[in-house]
Amino acid sequence: MADRRRINGPVGTTNPPIYDDAPEKQSEGFKVTRSRPANVIRKMYLKTGVTPSASGSAYLEIESSGNGGSGLKLSCSVHGPRALPRSTPFSPHIILSTHVKFAPFATKQRRGYIRDPIERDLGTHLETALRGSIIADRWPKSGVDIIISIVEGEQDRETSKAQGIEAWDTMNALSGCITVASAALADAGIDCVDTVAGGVAALVQDAGNDAAPSIVVDPIPSEHEKVLAACCIAYLPTRQEVTNLWFKGDLPASDMDVYTQLIEKGIQASKSANRVLVDCLNETVG
Amino acid sequence: MARHQNIRNLDYEAELEEYGAFSDEEEEELSPEDQVRMREGTAQVLEALGVEAHKVPKTQIEESLWHYYWDVDKTITYLISKYIDPPKKPAKTAPPKTAPKQDAAIASASRQSFAHLFRDLPWGNIPPERQAVLIPPPQLPAGLLGGSGAPPKMSKLQQLAAARKKKAEEKSASGEVEQTQVKMTELTVNDNQASKENRPLAGVFGKRVKISETTAQGRIPLTMAEPTRPEIPQAQAPEATPSQHQEEDPIDPEPAVAPPKAQPSAFASTLFGPSSDSPKRRPREVFALPYMAISSYSPDAFGKPSPDDVVLAAQAKVATAGKKSANVHNKKGSSSADGVTNQVSQLKIDDTPLPKSRNLNVLSEFEKQKGKKTASFVVVGHVDAGKSTMMGRLLLDLNVVDQRTVDKLRKEAEKIGKTSFALAWVLDQRHEERSRGVTIDIATNRFETETTSFTILDAPGHRDFIPNMIAGASQADFAILVIDASTGAFESGLKGQTREHSLLIRSMGVSRIIVAVNKLDTVNWSQERFDEITHQVSGFLTATGFQPKNIAFVPVSGLHGDNLVRKSTDPAASWYTGKTLVEELEASEPSARALAKPLRMTISEVMRTPQSSISITGRIDAGSLQMGDALLVQPSGEKAYVKSLQVDDGEPADWAVAGQNVVLHLSNIDPIHVRVGDIVCDPAKPIQCVDTFTLKALAFDILMPMQVDVHRGRLHAAGKIEAIDAILDKVTGKVTKKKPMIVKPGTVSRVRVTLHSKVPLEAGQRVVLRSGGQTVAAGLLE
Ligand SMILES: Nc1nc2c(ncn2[C@@H]2O[C@H](COP(=O)(O)OP(=O)(O)OP(=O)(O)O)[C@@H](O)[C@H]2O)c(=O)[nH]1
Ligand SMILES: [Mg+2]
Repeated sequence: MADRRRINGPVGTTNPPIYDDAPEKQSEGFKVTRSRPANVIRKMYLKTGVTPSASGSAYLEIESSGNGGSGLKLSCSVHGPRALPRSTPFSPHIILSTHVKFAPFATKQRRGYIRDPIERDLGTHLETALRGSIIADRWPKSGVDIIISIVEGEQDRETSKAQGIEAWDTMNALSGCITVASAALADAGIDCVDTVAGGVAALVQDAGNDAAPSIVVDPIPSEHEKVLAACCIAYLPTRQEVTNLWFKGDLPASDMDVYTQLIEKGIQASKSANRVLVDCLNETVG
Repeated sequence: MARHQNIRNLDYEAELEEYGAFSDEEEEELSPEDQVRMREGTAQVLEALGVEAHKVPKTQIEESLWHYYWDVDKTITYLISKYIDPPKKPAKTAPPKTAPKQDAAIASASRQSFAHLFRDLPWGNIPPERQAVLIPPPQLPAGLLGGSGAPPKMSKLQQLAAARKKKAEEKSASGEVEQTQVKMTELTVNDNQASKENRPLAGVFGKRVKISETTAQGRIPLTMAEPTRPEIPQAQAPEATPSQHQEEDPIDPEPAVAPPKAQPSAFASTLFGPSSDSPKRRPREVFALPYMAISSYSPDAFGKPSPDDVVLAAQAKVATAGKKSANVHNKKGSSSADGVTNQVSQLKIDDTPLPKSRNLNVLSEFEKQKGKKTASFVVVGHVDAGKSTMMGRLLLDLNVVDQRTVDKLRKEAEKIGKTSFALAWVLDQRHEERSRGVTIDIATNRFETETTSFTILDAPGHRDFIPNMIAGASQADFAILVIDASTGAFESGLKGQTREHSLLIRSMGVSRIIVAVNKLDTVNWSQERFDEITHQVSGFLTATGFQPKNIAFVPVSGLHGDNLVRKSTDPAASWYTGKTLVEELEASEPSARALAKPLRMTISEVMRTPQSSISITGRIDAGSLQMGDALLVQPSGEKAYVKSLQVDDGEPADWAVAGQNVVLHLSNIDPIHVRVGDIVCDPAKPIQCVDTFTLKALAFDILMPMQVDVHRGRLHAAGKIEAIDAILDKVTGKVTKKKPMIVKPGTVSRVRVTLHSKVPLEAGQRVVLRSGGQTVAAGLLE
């Protein structure tokens, strides 16, 4: 007898598409270079109030770089603040729980249904980024769940795999997560000291000329020969505070200037993102 | 040295007298003691302050002493913090005997923090860029939290409140509203500056104000004009904080002033609908094919038919070919069927029976046998008409079951309060049947009279179990229709399964029917009642297609056994002089056996027995078989051999013929290929598996192209009525109307049925079509 408790799927079966890895030579022909200035982030589309059943929600998409790939599409829903279950011990402030998950079809490599270490890592980073902006002691004994599903990841899995590091894409994903979560929190009406937006800056080496490495914001790994280092920053523009900082890469320890420049660029990127965020929230409050 | 001493020495009268002047002249009117204290205190303080004393005016010292009630320590601390520069060491200034170290530490700490706090205060001349702007709190719509994109959701309570509020507002003078607005504008220090760029924060926190109205009452979003303007990169805070990087990095200013907003992608716009604020984009006239940019793409890949198309075309070809051959089959009839069987017989590889076979001529053996004739009958009727009870009584009276068994059953039945069902339990052996008091599946039993050996097929009367009844009826030579004569029951039965069952058994090819008018004891053997029922039922049965000579009526009482085996002893029943039920049964001639036809047998049960891992039971519909024969099981198409067989009541036998109920022990076949409802046939002349067939059907209900279940004995398959070819005349079989849309109940028509899977069916077989738990038609395969 059919199981009545769950929604039964359709009768037929389909197989997920499997992409064979394109030969190296072919991808050579598609070499693209960065088309926007070094200090401009990609355009993004943000909308709040997309999930009617959630207390707050937002949808963010960052447009693709334009070479046939796909951009980043995130949807975030906020549930709460709501009372914690009886079993949890007393908490004088709100308990944030963040949950980031790639949809199984979000990337070229199919994702599993259980969160992998990268996704859990994103969750913790996001929690740190948001905790700095929420006024947590307004809600003792309560919790809020922030659930982000990455509907579509960056397209450049292949390139980044060729370079051996997936973290660059993960950073872009994190910055998007932070921005969309902040919008959803505002939509849910949870008190924050400020909006928080994410931004990424990277030290890249471009193809061809042996020019000195340069710093760009919102990097797309496939557009550059090599990404030397990158940092993802969550920034409160009004308070001028950084709530989360993630730095990765190889930099000469002596050159402190590069570090600060990278962070400044990251802040700049997050400020740009914040403008979209504020604009979007204004629209809804209207 | 402080206040409490004062209080101890208090002269209440003097104090009270003094009280009157206290408010206006308190400072001049120091009492002589106070004046002395003041002098001493001042001296002490001056001494403590030492070099710094000149920085403090004397009046201040006196005032602070008065304020602190001559507490020299506190006064000094206060004076130092107020008038003397913080870097100057308090340890040096404070008198060591009176000022504890702790105090000094506190003093220094507070001094430092205060200085730090007020360092940047403009004290009145506020530069314009630092002036705060007060903005009236935004008018927010009342509603529930969340999902702000949609219009606000309101709870019922809120709606009620809102309605009341509106009414009240309408009543009250509008002047009040204006007043508050005026107050609001007064609040705004600089209304002009409350322009667009200052709104972000108000907007962002607007919601917060709404939701935490109780906590943040009266709080007005305070916006600093300067730092919230991200559009202006050159922030002009007096002291540059580390984040003022744009200033330090003038080569690379942030270029975009407008926020980098993108249009929603196709995905997003499908999700959220077209955004209202976005400018209407002209629909694209040219649609680029996807992947055109990729060099590996070649547009002529779509010039040829796709692999799918190729497959579909091939399938279509086969289908039309199949249809053609089906048509040929229909036209040529048996000759083509012969051709098919010929072809199949050419295919046969190894049908040689196992060495065990005796290669008997079964038919001549059967002729030689001078045994009893065999017959099987099905007992049908409305639910609770007393079918099982009657058969239980019959078996008891014929000594097939002994009294002891029945007594035991009666005791068990008593336990669950169903004593009246004790006889029915002889046949209803399943747990569920007993607890519910209804027959669910066919029960078979056997008994013998002098001339015949009978097989009882006790069918369920409940309409939910009609498929089981069909399975039973398909094995029967004739039928007993049991009718409940008690008041009301007959009438309801005639509308219910009495009617449906008789229609079904007639269309299954049963022509002889014995009507047992049961429970006549409840109506005191009333002859009128019997006659009334006889009249109605015979009319109905002849209308159904039974010939009057094949219908017999017997008044019985199943519970007491009257007129079953022996004549009724009840004086009230003396009017009946006809045959008993058993006599009627013996008088019935079993239908002619199709002995010479190829073997056909429907499997009604599959089981494990000691003789074989796979044994099947069933009634041989046509043909004959013997031990060692090769058999073909359809639809699986697997071959098996008869290891041994048992006939009728479990006697081992060498052969069996049509009409007998047999148990076959098979070998050389995997159990997964043998299922209930499958057909066992002669490998030389196998039954074909078909998924389309035409049917001459008698409609019980309105027929139209629809989903149906096709039942044939135990076998049932899902399918649908593909088309209705014609309506036929009931008697002559001539076509009266071609391609009708629907078929009315009671008319005969030719319909074409397709099945979802292939099942073994052949011309001349009788099937029943059911839909949604109702029998809609029954008929003969053509
Ligand atoms: N008074 C009286 N009661 C009877 C007679 N025959 C059967 N009954 C009662 O009728 C009830 C139903 O009897 P069953 O034999 O279970 O009826 P059934 O037709 O087999 O019912 P299904 O198999 O469920 O369709 C029982 O309580 C019997 O005691 C009869 O001749 N006289
Ligand atoms: Mg019964």
